[in-house]
Amino acid sequence: MVEIRWHSRAGQGAVTGAKGLGDVVSTTGKQVQAFALYGSAKRGAAMRAYNRIDDEPIINHEKFMRPDYVLVIDPALAYTDNITENDKESTKYIITTHLSKDELIAGIPELQDKKDRVFVVDAIQISLDTIGRSIPNTPILGAFVKVSGMFELDYFLNAMQRVLSKFPQKIIDANMEAIKRAYNEVK
Amino acid sequence: MAEKFQLNEVEVWDGNYAASQALRQAQVDVVAAYPITPSTPIVENYGSYVADGYVDGEFVMAESEHGAMSACVGAAAAGGRVATATSSQGFALMVEVLYQASGMRLPIILTVVNRALAAPLNVRGDHSDMYLGRDSGWIQLDAFNAQEAYDLTLCAFKIGEDMRVRLPVMVHQDGFLTSHTAQNVYPLDDDTAYKFVGKYQPYEEMLDFSKPVTYGAQTEEDWHFEHKAKQHKALVDSRAVIDEVFEEFKKLTGREYNRVEKYLMDDAEVAIVALGTTVETSIVAAKKLREEGIKAGVVAPRCFRPFPFDDIRDALENTKAVAVLDRSAPMGAMGALFNEVSAALYTTPNRPLVTNYIYGLGGRDFAVNDAINIFKEAKANADAGYITTPIQQFSGVRGPKLGFFETKRGK
Amino acid sequence: MKGVLATEKRGIRELGAEEKVGWDEVPQGVILESFEEVLKENVAHIRPEERPYSDFNSYTATVASWRVIKPVYNRDICIDCQNCWVWCPDTSIISRDKQMLGIDYDHCKGCGVCVEVCPTNPKSLLMFAEAEEIEDALAKWPEKKKKSK
Repeated sequence: MVEIRWHSRAGQGAVTGAKGLGDVVSTTGKQVQAFALYGSAKRGAAMRAYNRIDDEPIINHEKFMRPDYVLVIDPALAYTDNITENDKESTKYIITTHLSKDELIAGIPELQDKKDRVFVVDAIQISLDTIGRSIPNTPILGAFVKVSGMFELDYFLNAMQRVLSKFPQKIIDANMEAIKRAYNEVK
Repeated sequence: MAEKFQLNEVEVWDGNYAASQALRQAQVDVVAAYPITPSTPIVENYGSYVADGYVDGEFVMAESEHGAMSACVGAAAAGGRVATATSSQGFALMVEVLYQASGMRLPIILTVVNRALAAPLNVRGDHSDMYLGRDSGWIQLDAFNAQEAYDLTLCAFKIGEDMRVRLPVMVHQDGFLTSHTAQNVYPLDDDTAYKFVGKYQPYEEMLDFSKPVTYGAQTEEDWHFEHKAKQHKALVDSRAVIDEVFEEFKKLTGREYNRVEKYLMDDAEVAIVALGTTVETSIVAAKKLREEGIKAGVVAPRCFRPFPFDDIRDALENTKAVAVLDRSAPMGAMGALFNEVSAALYTTPNRPLVTNYIYGLGGRDFAVNDAINIFKEAKANADAGYITTPIQQFSGVRGPKLGFFETKRGK
Repeated sequence: MKGVLATEKRGIRELGAEEKVGWDEVPQGVILESFEEVLKENVAHIRPEERPYSDFNSYTATVASWRVIKPVYNRDICIDCQNCWVWCPDTSIISRDKQMLGIDYDHCKGCGVCVEVCPTNPKSLLMFAEAEEIEDALAKWPEKKKKSK
């Protein structure tokens, strides 16, 4: 079982991202679960989304989770939200920020001793450059593919294209570019 | 003619989407609805199927849930296949008409996304609304995940519309935990699904002008009792039809459903009885405890009404201790599921020790560890030979331990 | 004026961060008390900054973290028309005796309605990035626009 927790703001696309990841995962024959927990469900409010991925059907419906991966798609939440809550010795963090890894960690005491498990990518800037809007969910998936090694990049891009097939080609292309850039730029 | 919807062999759907797809595939004649969280997306998705040409039937936006169910009653009496969706306060507002629908023996399908009842206002899942419907004369099927919400919605049409039954059917799923949780779902293609559900067979429809009828006439003490007795018998007797439909569904899909689901029960010494997603979470706990040597199992009424009195008894009579979990505030009584399970077990020679846990109200998380603790208390009861705790306890509530009533057995 | 714009009690905790108590301590009837004490007079006669708001009143909560962009107010241009005060959906425009004083940044969610309805030229309220310093924003204020024919 691989468990993922997304830290996001309502409106940034964490639910869509978690479901999109679920869609891709399902094409590999694996089982998936995607859900979200809102505080006050208003645009801008901090919220969390979750994925579980396993070879067996997933029958655990508890909201409690000890994540293997923590994806932070809003730069400020890395500081204000408790991103290390219920983590494990092996939990990996992928955080969107314009800062370098060292600069980021310097501001977040909880990450000091987890340095080798922290990865940074400027998903906001990448989404602005490629999609033209601040939608960091697809780029963070590119970073996740790289860090987790769960998929080959080409396989993921193909599957993601199918997931996005209801959108115009221009938007699909922009998302593909965003995923590729984040895959290559995550550090 | 409605367009066909292209579906993949495996889709990642949440419970709401799964239910709405099942309604679409059944080609319902009239959906009259008034959307409410967390079942809103069922109505919303269905509306988009109508707009996009995937549905031939009518879609009626009502002015309230009372109006929605009233429109459903009218449409069903007129001779159409009818369905709607609701939750919580909306369900509460429908209650008056629910009794009308079942009394008139109209096989309406209601997908209920379970949610708490106010006050305090709360949009999350518990079983307050499901329990509110338990005397309304409807068949109540309970899905534990998105796949089951899809499967059971298809089965519901076939059960309710069977000429031996002709009763309305609710298909329940847990608010958010199922309705908003996307999981792998294996849908049928449109033709296969429709073929399984079958063409709607009208019965005494009002729009048959060669044979005009009146529905829901007034009866006083001279007629009322006989009608209600006949309705109750139809509900109790629907068990055989439910079994048949589940059997047919299994032949078609390989997915097996039973009026009472049993997991790890062959040699179980202690068992949890629950409804909804809690059933599956409890199975995770039971598996863990079996690694420690505790023979734990889980029993779940798939069919809350008609209550499977006989099958529940068969499933549990060889256990030593049973913990019955109610996700609804019992308000001055033991939990409803506890009462019904206890009544069934009272008629067994062995009479296992039965305890009641009130948990998860308003969407409070029910974690694997909560189930483990409950199993362990049941195990302690089994070992002691009497109930070592208050008979009813609140699990997961903040504050001092809350429990009621001591046993008079053993000790 | 400082006291009106930022009082001791306003926005002192994140929304939802109030202390959680058990079933034995929650108030009967799902009641939330607005104030910590019984007021000596009608609340309408007490100014907000002088009211003893309780922990469960949204006055003491902040949702500033929800904001990505913020309105900045330019006193030099404002004509105190009160349009922003009327339209703000979160009562986050602070006005006293029909004089606009500033923005309640603890409750403003950055929707931009105040900027939309501001009638002056240039506008007396403009949206800036959340991180922008107020002084820098004011220094960047645009010139009056000429009417196009």
